[in-house]
Amino acid sequence: MRTVLLASLRVHTRRYLAAALAIAVGVAFIVVTNALASAARDGIVAGVDLPYRDADAVVSDIDGSQAAALVDRARERGDSAAVLGWTMQQVSGDGIVADQVDVGAVADDSRMRWQRLVDGRMPRADGEAVVDVNAAKSLQAAVGDVIRVGSGARAAEVEVVGTVDSPSASVSSSVYLTWDAVSAITPRFFVDSVAYAAAGNTGGLVPALRAATDGTVQSVDDFVDDRTQELAQGVDVLGYLLLLFAGIALFVSVLVIANTFSILFAQRTRDFALLRCVGSTRGQLLRSVRREALVLGALASALGLAVGAALGYGVVALVAALIPRAPLGAVSLDPRWLLSAYGLGVLVTLVASWLPTRRVSQVSPLVALRTEEVAEVSAAAGRMRLVLAAGSLAAGLAGMGVAVASESAPAMVLGGGLSFIGVLLLGPLVVPALVRLIGGAAGRFGGPAMRLATGNAVRQPRRTAATTASLLIGVTLTTAVLTGLAGARTSLDDEMKSEHPVDVTLTGSTATPLPGDLLADVRGADGVQDAAAVPGVLAKVSNGVGSLTLLAPPGDARVVERAALPRPGPRELVLPYDVAPDAGRVTVLVGDRKVRLKVRTSEGFGTAGLVAPETLRALGSDGTRAVWVRADDDADPEDLGGDLDALAGPVAADVESGLQQRAYVTRQLTILTGAVVGLLGVAVVIALVGIGNTLGLSVLERRREHALLRALGLTRRQLRATLAAEAVLLSVVATVLGTVLGVGYAWVGDLTLIRPAVGGGLRIPWDQLAIVVLVAGVAGLAACVLPARRAARTAPAEGLAAD
Amino acid sequence: MTQTQQLTPDLTTGTAARTRGLARSYGTGATEVHALRGIDLDLPAGRLTAIMGPSGSGKSTLMHCLAGLDQPTAGSVTVAGEALEQLDDDALTLFRRERLGFVFQGFNLLPMLTAAENIRLPLELAGRSVDRARFDALVGTLGLADRLGHRPSELSGGQQQRVAIARALVHAPAVVFADEPTGNLDSKASAEVLDHLRRSVREQGQTVVMVTHELDAAAYADDVVVLVDGAVREHLVAPSRDALVQALGGGR
Repeated sequence: MRTVLLASLRVHTRRYLAAALAIAVGVAFIVVTNALASAARDGIVAGVDLPYRDADAVVSDIDGSQAAALVDRARERGDSAAVLGWTMQQVSGDGIVADQVDVGAVADDSRMRWQRLVDGRMPRADGEAVVDVNAAKSLQAAVGDVIRVGSGARAAEVEVVGTVDSPSASVSSSVYLTWDAVSAITPRFFVDSVAYAAAGNTGGLVPALRAATDGTVQSVDDFVDDRTQELAQGVDVLGYLLLLFAGIALFVSVLVIANTFSILFAQRTRDFALLRCVGSTRGQLLRSVRREALVLGALASALGLAVGAALGYGVVALVAALIPRAPLGAVSLDPRWLLSAYGLGVLVTLVASWLPTRRVSQVSPLVALRTEEVAEVSAAAGRMRLVLAAGSLAAGLAGMGVAVASESAPAMVLGGGLSFIGVLLLGPLVVPALVRLIGGAAGRFGGPAMRLATGNAVRQPRRTAATTASLLIGVTLTTAVLTGLAGARTSLDDEMKSEHPVDVTLTGSTATPLPGDLLADVRGADGVQDAAAVPGVLAKVSNGVGSLTLLAPPGDARVVERAALPRPGPRELVLPYDVAPDAGRVTVLVGDRKVRLKVRTSEGFGTAGLVAPETLRALGSDGTRAVWVRADDDADPEDLGGDLDALAGPVAADVESGLQQRAYVTRQLTILTGAVVGLLGVAVVIALVGIGNTLGLSVLERRREHALLRALGLTRRQLRATLAAEAVLLSVVATVLGTVLGVGYAWVGDLTLIRPAVGGGLRIPWDQLAIVVLVAGVAGLAACVLPARRAARTAPAEGLAAD
Repeated sequence: MTQTQQLTPDLTTGTAARTRGLARSYGTGATEVHALRGIDLDLPAGRLTAIMGPSGSGKSTLMHCLAGLDQPTAGSVTVAGEALEQLDDDALTLFRRERLGFVFQGFNLLPMLTAAENIRLPLELAGRSVDRARFDALVGTLGLADRLGHRPSELSGGQQQRVAIARALVHAPAVVFADEPTGNLDSKASAEVLDHLRRSVREQGQTVVMVTHELDAAAYADDVVVLVDGAVREHLVAPSRDALVQALGGGR
């Protein structure tokens, strides 16, 4: 049988190409995942030990005040303590305002400074700062510039004295000030850890620190080990998530391969029958075709490994070149992953070929003796299949019902999976019916090509169903993700609105009120829909808050998201989270007037305290202390911030914009959506290869039909149109069905996960879904190009003569 | 199209198809095979002409070239007044669907279409409407009235060939080409099919060119062209059975 095996591999290579491609893509996906994960792990873990190189112990799990206490302790004893962490602050410079910039600290002791100086020098005083080289570009800050860090009365003007490289991904920041300067700007500094070095004898340092602080105290080696492991684990989790998508791609490959084998073996039925006639046993035949599958799987998986490795190195190099700040290190491919990927590729091929090969051995030798075409009759759906389909559909729907009722994600996944299997099983019934429906409607306008295509598409229900199933999976998942994330975006948008009741605030923090013409200037700025002047006064607030502007918020609905803005009661003071002291009550002093107010906390109205109008009257307002702005819906956050900053600068007002953060969250969601769609795209590409493949193999099968049609007067163009129509019909039916299913699953997901968490509701992203249908249609068209060209090339007489 | 229609009237009395120096070879160099070696032939209109010859004599190739299904290597072919070598693929295709009808041996009907759809196919491809009266008359004559909704797999071999004849005649073609139309049929079904072809010639003045290797089939023909090794050995007009046997036997 070896002669037969080799000969058939040689003869059928071209026909196996698509199946090989499907396997190779799946395997390559896994390898690329490994390459990316290894580079990311290397990049994130790199430099973890750097900040602790000269330390003797590390304290973690502490807050800003505990860290401050440690720094004080070190100073008293002549030890060194470097606080590693950051605070998100507004940073403004010459014409640029950036919210949410991470600001960290440089150690007092030059030995403990882990940042590498690139240009200039390290800070010597509290009024000096260094900026990360890459951040310097986006902040447009150069050595010698003066930047303002923070907002309100606590903000500090510092001079950039140098730029640095931050080679540790875990504690790097964009801007570094001295510890004293940072702690003056905010009491809320996020502390990652404190590196502590004793001046003299280091023995007994760990127990001594344990006694001095509530945090976790570890030796440097222990801490670095733990941290490395923790970071690597995070990357690995991400890697496993990526593998999920690889799994989906491989599953789609199984469908494509199984379909390829089914069609190929159906076409070779007479060959097999002849082999049986001349004396090969069932077993020999079965072994021969299975070996064929094995060889295919082995070769295609090897190709996948090679392509995956090349792509992995390429992608990492590309990302590193395009985004210098991306924490990507060297690629190190894990042999275990490669081996698993290879094994999986071979296994998937064998699994996919199992059923089709079994059918081969059932071929009767008599088939070889028949002269006429082997009429291939494929039943639509057996009773067994229907029962199974109904069962899994019912179970799936029940599971999703339970999921919605109990808000349980596992029940949702299980129910969704089961119901989808039900739909796939029903494919041979549902898909041809849909093809007839859509093809019939289109046939009225499409002429004979469309009618022939519809007839061709439904004549083998199982093949049609299997071909569309692969695309159906990709489209269903894509649509579900798009719709689900659109819903999540709506919900998040609502939440962001409540966090930022005012789009942009300009708050004065000096002794004199803001000039009267500021309001008109602000209203005239591009992107400002409306603005309102807010009356207030500069007050002294007890408990360490210090000098703070107090405002009585206007009831102006044109400027303020009314429901979201906290309304202080007569004896209340609403303070921003990052200003509020721990005390429940504070004393507020304006000149000689003094009131005691209950503290509430909130955010989204700038660095100011909110009081009731009567409280402000009691304290005595001295005019406009802030201007609140409602931006146009399509205003560019960066431009608006810059324009308003230009207006605010001369009058010493602080600009705080919620727009940038909103834009940031929106951008994150867009990136997430893009990433998921891109990853699912691999599965969709495999599915399209499958459609092209089915069509290509069908073209071989229908050689005589095409010849007959050409003899009877079908032009080349019409023949190509017929095949194109068939491909588009298949892909559009799969896409439409997938879109409907995907929206349904997104709805269930919304009810189960999103609504209980953040409320909101399903929003169907019509534009995106339309693009999905369009792309699938066009891709279907692309999939048929090669088969159609090939079919049209054949001269009618050639096809008729072939026998 | 107008030009060919103007020519149609003389066809009933004149020549339906003419070849001059028609040659067709496959392959090149050492593997070159000459299927047809310079054939000059005039096939009269309104008659049933049988092309006969042993296997490999080139009779199918001759028919393919006459019907515009294959491109000759040399020589000219004129069918229904149209010089085929001057037509490009599209024009040739349009010519076939407007002016020619086909009946093939085994594989004649599209499996996914019903009998009625198969019959209407040439008209549908041309975007022409069905002449209802002609369709009904054809279907009635061929005894297919109660089979129109069936697919080919549900029809007997004889019925399938009758559907193919109906399809070949439905658009009133200038010439019907039949390639071994009885090859897969038993003798009763063969007789039926041949009878229908002959009736279309006798009663409607149809021109039919039939390739066959069966003597019984050729007996239905008005004229017989005997082909041997890619050349015309004899063109017999209304031959007797003996003359035919002699012409064929002489080649062996």
